[in-house]
Amino acid sequence: MSHTRTLVEALRKRLGGAAPLPPPAPTPRIPEPPVRVFPRRNEKTAYAKEAATHTTALLGIGHVGTRYATDVVLQFQAELAVAHGAVAHELAPDFAARNALLPLESRVADHRQFLLRPDLGRRLSDESVHRLRAGATKSPDVQPILADGLSAVACEGSGMALLHAFTRACERRGLTVGTPVCARYARVWLEDEIGEIVGAKVAAILLGERPGLGTGDGLSAYLVYEPKLGKTDGDRNMMSNIHARGTPPEVAGDRLAVLAKAMVDQRTSGVSLDLSGLVAELGEAASRAPRAPQERVRLVEVDR
Amino acid sequence: MILEPIPPRILSVRRIPNADPAVLAAYGADPTRHRSLGLITVDQDDPTYVALDEATKHAPVDVVFARSFYAGAAHGSGPISGEILGVLAASDPDEIDEGLAALIRCLEHDACFYGADESKKTPVFPHVIASLGHYLSAQAGVAPGTSMAYLVAPPMEGAIALDAALKAADVRAAKIFPPPTETNFTAAWLVGSLVDCQAAAEAYCETVVRVAANPRER
Amino acid sequence: MRLRATIRNVGYEFGSLREVFAKANPPKSGDQLAGIAARDPVERVAARAVLANVTLEQIRNNPVIPYEVDELTRLFEHSLDEAAYSAVKHLTVGQFREWLLDSKTDGHRIRSVSPGLTPEMAAAVCKLMTNLDLMTAGAKCLVVVRANNTLGLPGRLSSRVQPNHPTDDVAGILLSTREGLSYGCGDAVIGVNPATDTAESTAEILTAIDAVLKKNGCPTQHCVLSHVTVQMRALSELRCPMDLMFQSLSGSEAGNKAFGISVGLIDEAADMMKRLGSTRGPNRMYFETGQGSALSSAAHHGADQVTLEARCYGFARRYDPFLVNTVVGFIGPEYLEDGPQITRAGLEDHFMGKLLGIPMGCDACFTYHARMSQDELEGLKVLLGAAGCTYLMSLPVGDDLMLNYPSTSFHDIPSVRRLLGKRPAPEFDAWLNELGILDGDQPGERFGDPRVIRP
Repeated sequence: MSHTRTLVEALRKRLGGAAPLPPPAPTPRIPEPPVRVFPRRNEKTAYAKEAATHTTALLGIGHVGTRYATDVVLQFQAELAVAHGAVAHELAPDFAARNALLPLESRVADHRQFLLRPDLGRRLSDESVHRLRAGATKSPDVQPILADGLSAVACEGSGMALLHAFTRACERRGLTVGTPVCARYARVWLEDEIGEIVGAKVAAILLGERPGLGTGDGLSAYLVYEPKLGKTDGDRNMMSNIHARGTPPEVAGDRLAVLAKAMVDQRTSGVSLDLSGLVAELGEAASRAPRAPQERVRLVEVDR
Repeated sequence: MILEPIPPRILSVRRIPNADPAVLAAYGADPTRHRSLGLITVDQDDPTYVALDEATKHAPVDVVFARSFYAGAAHGSGPISGEILGVLAASDPDEIDEGLAALIRCLEHDACFYGADESKKTPVFPHVIASLGHYLSAQAGVAPGTSMAYLVAPPMEGAIALDAALKAADVRAAKIFPPPTETNFTAAWLVGSLVDCQAAAEAYCETVVRVAANPRER
Repeated sequence: MRLRATIRNVGYEFGSLREVFAKANPPKSGDQLAGIAARDPVERVAARAVLANVTLEQIRNNPVIPYEVDELTRLFEHSLDEAAYSAVKHLTVGQFREWLLDSKTDGHRIRSVSPGLTPEMAAAVCKLMTNLDLMTAGAKCLVVVRANNTLGLPGRLSSRVQPNHPTDDVAGILLSTREGLSYGCGDAVIGVNPATDTAESTAEILTAIDAVLKKNGCPTQHCVLSHVTVQMRALSELRCPMDLMFQSLSGSEAGNKAFGISVGLIDEAADMMKRLGSTRGPNRMYFETGQGSALSSAAHHGADQVTLEARCYGFARRYDPFLVNTVVGFIGPEYLEDGPQITRAGLEDHFMGKLLGIPMGCDACFTYHARMSQDELEGLKVLLGAAGCTYLMSLPVGDDLMLNYPSTSFHDIPSVRRLLGKRPAPEFDAWLNELGILDGDQPGERFGDPRVIRP
């Protein structure tokens, strides 16, 4: 259609072989960017240093364009791998026996089913129902339950410490504590059936919480008054982040006992439980206890 | 790749179906014959002159106004000013539509600058028109229907290339625009037979490429 | 109403519209857990074919939870805009999908129809859409809201700074907040999930954040996401500043009971915010939702989780909220098993929320026991941004120390904005430019430098 286009096309072919342009300039050596590392103990910005005394959040890490420095990416991926490892870990079958706890199991058959079928993790297997009926003290004020939940690592780690601290703190407040049990493949609501069978006033399940970055060892606790099948989340009070860098087990045990005592006194739990008179007591346990400056553990070291 | 097309961008196309006589007069139309205007702005001027001329071959329209803006499209007064404003005039809006359609077709499929180097920093316009319409033929002082090589390049490349084009074929210069023009290019309108115009354009284009690649003849 | 389709000579008959709704969903582990999912892909398509020929009027007349047993169903029925409804009631779900996708249908037309839609209608059309359909239609919807700044304008992408701390250490919360602001995050809200659910702690955190925002002239909102009753006490008795009041919502009356709330309670909360809240408004509420929450408290009435999620939005829109977001992957693999399911749910939730007229954002996230990778999550953030999502979350490296899950990071927000040519909310954008955090659409000289925000 166009005379000009045909002409230019032919000319371009003819000139193409003749390399009419000078060769491209050589690429200069790309200088190494300044070292930006995940902040170590002694090479932090002032902001990161201040942040480290208040939080384990990765602050003051800078940026490359709008993205992370390579070192930060590696730290982050290492922490992710640790968290996934914690999820995959299963509670040792003899953990209950070794710690002199009454062993119980939910209706879950294996780990994948545990993740996909919370309904089965909320009910005891028939065998466990019999074992609980036969082996546990009836009608305690508080029935403590240690369980794997979503991190068996946390349960095996500081589970016994929390259970002991909680038991002692309850007894100090004049509450009777039931036979300690340990439940495998357990969800929070399993406390309803266990508490109902033993006829406890309050059921307290202490279990591994969903792992976070670099924190596969956190425990949560859920307390419910007059446990029985059919209780909902609104009926419960909970406390999370029980681990050395959050609320330590000894402090948490104390605070949970305060909650349990309030439930027994007020004969209720959940949103209708009035905690306004206990702020000082809970507050002290929750946030004003002295904590060591927090440090996120550097996970990646490369031998050069 | 060299000689890649640099397609012109049409920045605006508007019609005034029934223009005020003062506007008609101001833009060079004749209020006794013309009633409707078609206006276009584009970021390349020379392809637009060619396309305006093309419009006169496809519709009963007149090119009443066509001016390049100083220093080119990169320095437009507004985002749709571009490098040129062209105005077609006709007795009714349908004719304007027909003329604009031909104009746009030519800009989209035919007339454009080419990059004489890899980076497209040296534009060249080696355009061959087989048969002129009555706009460019009047501007060049030749008969409608004449063949033309419409040649544009930056000043240095254009001067050397024009010499080469005139020597390569049996053509004559109807008009030469030495620098600086409004857009700081240099241009030439060469006329002759179609075959000679093609040969001249080819020589012109090739020379621009060579000068751009070797500005100091080393 | 006959609910029957034939595919390759096999007839599929469905007993109720609720069953059709459930079986028309793409695969979700939560629908399988509830025992209501299609048994195979062909039955799923048959359910969709049936659904495509149901009219919106038939859907209004057959809510997934009966009028008599659920206050949300009654709310939807009584508050429906009859004029808007009558403009679309004759359309089948298939025709409604095509109307939404038609180039001639723009955001303003969708907005005019939206008050006439029940949540079930939004869920129904969602089931007939592919992911790109959901993005295409979602991006058209225009929902603009205002509190201290303006969210939801075209070409904008906002974010919540979520400076959660495992023990509510206020200094730690403020350090994370300042860092987030220095990356251009936080125009939606500075929103803290507290570890301790008390009015005193809520008031303490709000007062501290308020002081930093005021001192720096930062045009955004603050919120502490404790239970609504706790916030009401903090507001009415402790009289702390509170720009937005928060509550998690569920899609059924029974689900809301499990959260300790009801329509009456939220009415009371919204009314209190009108009187005592600290923004000029008119939008003052913040809600979070997420597929699967009703089932997790056995409050689903046999309905599927997509439809129940839409009902949360129907509940939310009663209060003209400033923010609503789905916390899409937070609930865990028993409801959304893996990357594709979480991605799908994020796009569904955004679309349904926008269609129903609320300023929908998304916490694009997963939990460490779901099968989703960091790369898949980054992809979802870009998809949501392209779909016109009002806001995303933002945390230091996307890691929530308190709730233990990965979400969007301070670095992700400016990255997605630049990729998609989006800007923060206009008032916030101007403030960022003034401080040198942004330089037009580029990172400015003080980008990522938290010292630019005074403590």
